[in-house]
Amino acid sequence: MTVDLTQFHDAFFEESFEALDAMEAALLKLDVGSPEPELINTIFRVAHSIKGGSATFGFSEIASFTHSLETLLDELRSGTMPVTVALSDLLLKSVDVMRAMLRAVQAKQPIDSQRVSDLQFDLEVAIAHKSEAEPAAATPAGAAWIVAAESAAGGAAPAAQQAPRWRIRFHPYRELLARGNDPLRMLRELAALGELAVRVDAQMLPALAEVNPQDCYLAWSLELPGEVPEDAIRQVFEWAEGDCDLSIERLPGEQALPAGAQDAPTPVQATPAPVSAAPPASAQHGAHPPPAPAPASPAPAKPEAPVSALGDSGSIRVSVEKIDELMNTVGELVITQAMLSQLGSHFDGPDAEKLRAGLGQLERNMRELQESVMRVRMLPITFVFSRFPRMVRDLAQRLGKQIELKLTGEQTELDKTVLEKIGDPLVHLVRNSIDHGIESPEARIAAGKPAEGTVHLDACHRGGNIAVEVSDDGGGLDRDRILAKARARGLVGPNDTLTDPEIHELIFVPGFSTAEKTTDLSGRGVGMDVVRRNVKELGGKIELKSEPGRGSRFIITLPLTLAIVDGQSVAVGTETYIVPLISIVESMQLKATGITRLSGHSEVLSFRGDYLPIIRLHELFGVEPRSRALHEGLVVVAEGDGRRVGLFVDDLLGQQQVVIKSLEANYGHIEGVSGATILGDGSVALILDVPGLIRAASMRTAA
Amino acid sequence: MKTRKQQTPARKRARPGPAKPRAKASVKARAARSRVAAAAEYGALTLGVECTAAEADALKAELARRVAASEPIIVDVSALRRIDTAGLQLLAAFVRDRRTGGRIVQWRGQAAALELAAGLLGLKDMLELAGEVGR
Repeated sequence: MTVDLTQFHDAFFEESFEALDAMEAALLKLDVGSPEPELINTIFRVAHSIKGGSATFGFSEIASFTHSLETLLDELRSGTMPVTVALSDLLLKSVDVMRAMLRAVQAKQPIDSQRVSDLQFDLEVAIAHKSEAEPAAATPAGAAWIVAAESAAGGAAPAAQQAPRWRIRFHPYRELLARGNDPLRMLRELAALGELAVRVDAQMLPALAEVNPQDCYLAWSLELPGEVPEDAIRQVFEWAEGDCDLSIERLPGEQALPAGAQDAPTPVQATPAPVSAAPPASAQHGAHPPPAPAPASPAPAKPEAPVSALGDSGSIRVSVEKIDELMNTVGELVITQAMLSQLGSHFDGPDAEKLRAGLGQLERNMRELQESVMRVRMLPITFVFSRFPRMVRDLAQRLGKQIELKLTGEQTELDKTVLEKIGDPLVHLVRNSIDHGIESPEARIAAGKPAEGTVHLDACHRGGNIAVEVSDDGGGLDRDRILAKARARGLVGPNDTLTDPEIHELIFVPGFSTAEKTTDLSGRGVGMDVVRRNVKELGGKIELKSEPGRGSRFIITLPLTLAIVDGQSVAVGTETYIVPLISIVESMQLKATGITRLSGHSEVLSFRGDYLPIIRLHELFGVEPRSRALHEGLVVVAEGDGRRVGLFVDDLLGQQQVVIKSLEANYGHIEGVSGATILGDGSVALILDVPGLIRAASMRTAA
Repeated sequence: MKTRKQQTPARKRARPGPAKPRAKASVKARAARSRVAAAAEYGALTLGVECTAAEADALKAELARRVAASEPIIVDVSALRRIDTAGLQLLAAFVRDRRTGGRIVQWRGQAAALELAAGLLGLKDMLELAGEVGR
């Protein structure tokens, strides 16, 4: 269940250096005597996040140093310590030291410990001095926040209730404190963002004798004004992630604003896509309420706040709509370019060669442009994977199993839309592996396996697709039980013998479950068929491999994007169709002898010891073919839903990436067709959906 | 950067060599005081400079010794400079348990840190801090 953190190191260094620049800038602006609370908050946040990050990554020297620094800054922030020239100098020196430490760690060089410990000592001295010398300096008036603690009778001020507000439910797990997170600090940061209403839930706090001092028993319900950016709130809880339940929801205003003002988000507001390789913090939270219209800066709207200027320089947030628009335009360009290329190939004359060279260059540039735009939409699959360690731990505990979760290939990138839809199927599969796959520790030991089972999630690119694999080293599928169950349900005749793939196919049948008792996890038979349907909706396929006693593997193959498909164009009469490459097994020319005619009109071809039904596309789509004789055309062996068929076509035209235009959005659903595209000559080609074709064909045969 | 360059020598002048040992001593003094000090009288509890997770075990022991005591317990917070969630949580459990048993807790002295922290965590009512501190 360990996540390889080294992959985040670069991002951490990059962000830390940027943050230190911001901190330095803020320090230089800090007025001795009357410090701007905003600046102190900025400085504090930098120290806090570097501390959290370095502690997470095990850079203990940096963590220890920043801890001292943070303590000092906390004093400044709470107003118990004035900002003096000496102090701001000390803080600037701290920036230098932190930068040097980060550079050293980054370059895997030793840290100058002497310099660090000297300065750390100075920091400690400064803290101790202030604690002694100025006990009465606590002036909440100079502090950076206002707290409206909700009294039992009063509640929040009525004026505040009218405006939209954030409601934050923060329920730390017991171990939050032990992990070095202090809710007090988080709430203080929240209070710095705006007027904070606090209500504590102390119901879980046991009698004093039972309190473990290192555990956290309190939970909070908080409210902040609606103009605070959601990102800023999430950032406060960033380091507590995984150690608390957190929900942030937007409460609409009661009357103050006209309804339209809230209902019409500008494009920038609509679900911002984290474009950079930022830490997966915000993407993990389920529901995204519409964020407030503010820059993604952690500092509350202060035009001169240095964080907004420096902290975000590495990436920008762009709305998905804008990218889709761009994508669409690029798609149109691709079509125009294909049209020009086709035209250009017919030209003759002195300049024809130059024209074609230019068109060739245009095509290359087009492809690059298309790929760049696609890459903007790509996010690493770690955004999905990151939810699993916690889930596996909880499930394993509940089921009394010992399970290690292995994650590999988290950096594999795929389109955001695909990414969003792959989460649920994966959750199903992982749950299944834990519930059905991995045996209890006793059973495992009895079978000669280690007590701890392994669930492995892997992702990798294969051609234009991404393969996501969920495997476990559990008991594998129980052939006999599945067969018995299928016979009992009448899915299989009492004397039928089934091959392994056919048995595997059974678990995808809706309502099929072999679990002896339904748990709240799985066993109700609604899982696998939904998984397959979801995967199919994404244009992907799911395969299952299982070895009794050794475990099972589910392999999901998905297109990297839903906007473009790698296709094989085939000719049927005067029409062109696109067969997705992912569905094609092989294409071949048939000999007259390779075909067997069965009763009725159906024909089968012999293919590697198997007999595959032949679907004549011209019949299915009512097109006049070049030839009706099977040996004069070609057969494309295609696979869908675990079944293979031969598609009879006149000719293969070529492979190309095509931009998918939704037929359903523009016309309506047709069985066997997943979409359409526009070819270079301006004509429309239908993109075939092989599983749908098989269904359509079998319905025709049956009719 | 300009400000900074000017300030560096100023600081050096302000803190000549001998300053360090003195400072070191004060760190030690602070460390000693930060322990939760058990006061001479049983009914009084004087909190140290720090009541944080690091001192929580000791604080719990001190509080647990007094939670069931029938006489009023006076908690002196005048030395308190830092308190965190762990410390406040213990105090909250202590005050609540005493109140449930009909026993009295009184606060003595003022501690801005306690006030602020209890306010932020929404524990002021539970700690009965409202009118008590400073009495």
